Amino acid sequence: MAFLTEDQFTALQLLLKAPSKDAVRQICTESYPAGASKSQSIAEKTANALSVSNSEAMQLLTAFHMLSHHVVYQNLTSPEQILPIFPESFHSNLKNLITKIILENSVTWRNEALSSQISLPKLVDLEWRVDMKTASDSLSRMAVPTCLLQMKLQDTPCISGGPSESTVTMELSKETLDTMIDGLGRIRDQLSAVARK
Amino acid sequence: MLQLHFTNDTLPDNVSTDFQNLNKLSEQLHIVLLPHQSERFLRQLTEFAGENGMSAGPLRALMKSVLLLPHGALKRNLTAEQVKADLLSLGLNEDKARHFSDQWRIHYPVLSRLAVGQTLMVNQLVDMEWKFGVTVGTSELQKTGNIFLQLKLVIRKGNTTENVYMELTLPQFYNFLHEMERAKASMDCFS
Repeated sequence: MAFLTEDQFTALQLLLKAPSKDAVRQICTESYPAGASKSQSIAEKTANALSVSNSEAMQLLTAFHMLSHHVVYQNLTSPEQILPIFPESFHSNLKNLITKIILENSVTWRNEALSSQISLPKLVDLEWRVDMKTASDSLSRMAVPTCLLQMKLQDTPCISGGPSESTVTMELSKETLDTMIDGLGRIRDQLSAVARK
Repeated sequence: MLQLHFTNDTLPDNVSTDFQNLNKLSEQLHIVLLPHQSERFLRQLTEFAGENGMSAGPLRALMKSVLLLPHGALKRNLTAEQVKADLLSLGLNEDKARHFSDQWRIHYPVLSRLAVGQTLMVNQLVDMEWKFGVTVGTSELQKTGNIFLQLKLVIRKGNTTENVYMELTLPQFYNFLHEMERAKASMDCFS
């Protein structure tokens, strides 16, 4: 499976110049996030740590980025699945170290990918309040309960920019609330039917 | 000065004249007087006027005064007896007063429920649509299997509606349901 070019594997071997295993680990974890392989500051840090040029550091970061994303995408979970990716000539200790680092982090990386995938604005917080209406312009005395609901939604764009929060406040009459709970109950029943299968 | 149940204000002179004029109408007017449906009511009046050979203009003016009583009575939660007493004080004859107060007794629950329904509501939730499904794969993960729930809430803002879309995870959904049931329990305490 040679989706990484020979040059990229060569670039990976630059990691042999690292002063310690922890340095390797740090370089690897820093290069995982989406924009990392294009970030100047990370490239510089890596170049300094390994005493190589900036462009070589960039190549290394890109190579590791592709490798780690491939492992997470394919959900490779054991060393036996990852080791065959490397070419025969690859330094064997480095190969084992890289595999170990990737496996250590793959669960975290996977969960992160799940939580930051494309979605509609996510419900972040929910608050409610029950009021009693006692008078209005059409009735000078009444006793009507009503529910106020406030939901905080957060929209995190996948590609760029920061999260944006919005708040929605709404009022529900007793009938509306009953109907809503009916609907939610039906969802719950369907969910448990699906879970049982 | 007349002491009336349905209002504390001084009524203009024409109002009591108008009530007395009601006596002159030989037909019984079977109408349910809904406070905010004046347009439909005026149309019915014009039809009635046409059917019975009287002009619509004076009839409409008369009815405007007459409507003051049901509006005030609804606002102050008057009983049928109080309504009848006011009608008699204003000069309506016994027969029509009794008929009107009987109609009032019959239709009062509907009228007050309609009045409650017309009470101001801010950002009223009008509709809720939902769908749930399973995410099969993403650009980062070839195979996944986690469940998502999407809600669309339709909120009335003034004359237009606004759609709010959101996504919930399963734990969030169960929390949402739990909170709504708590709110319902709280509301049930009051009714």
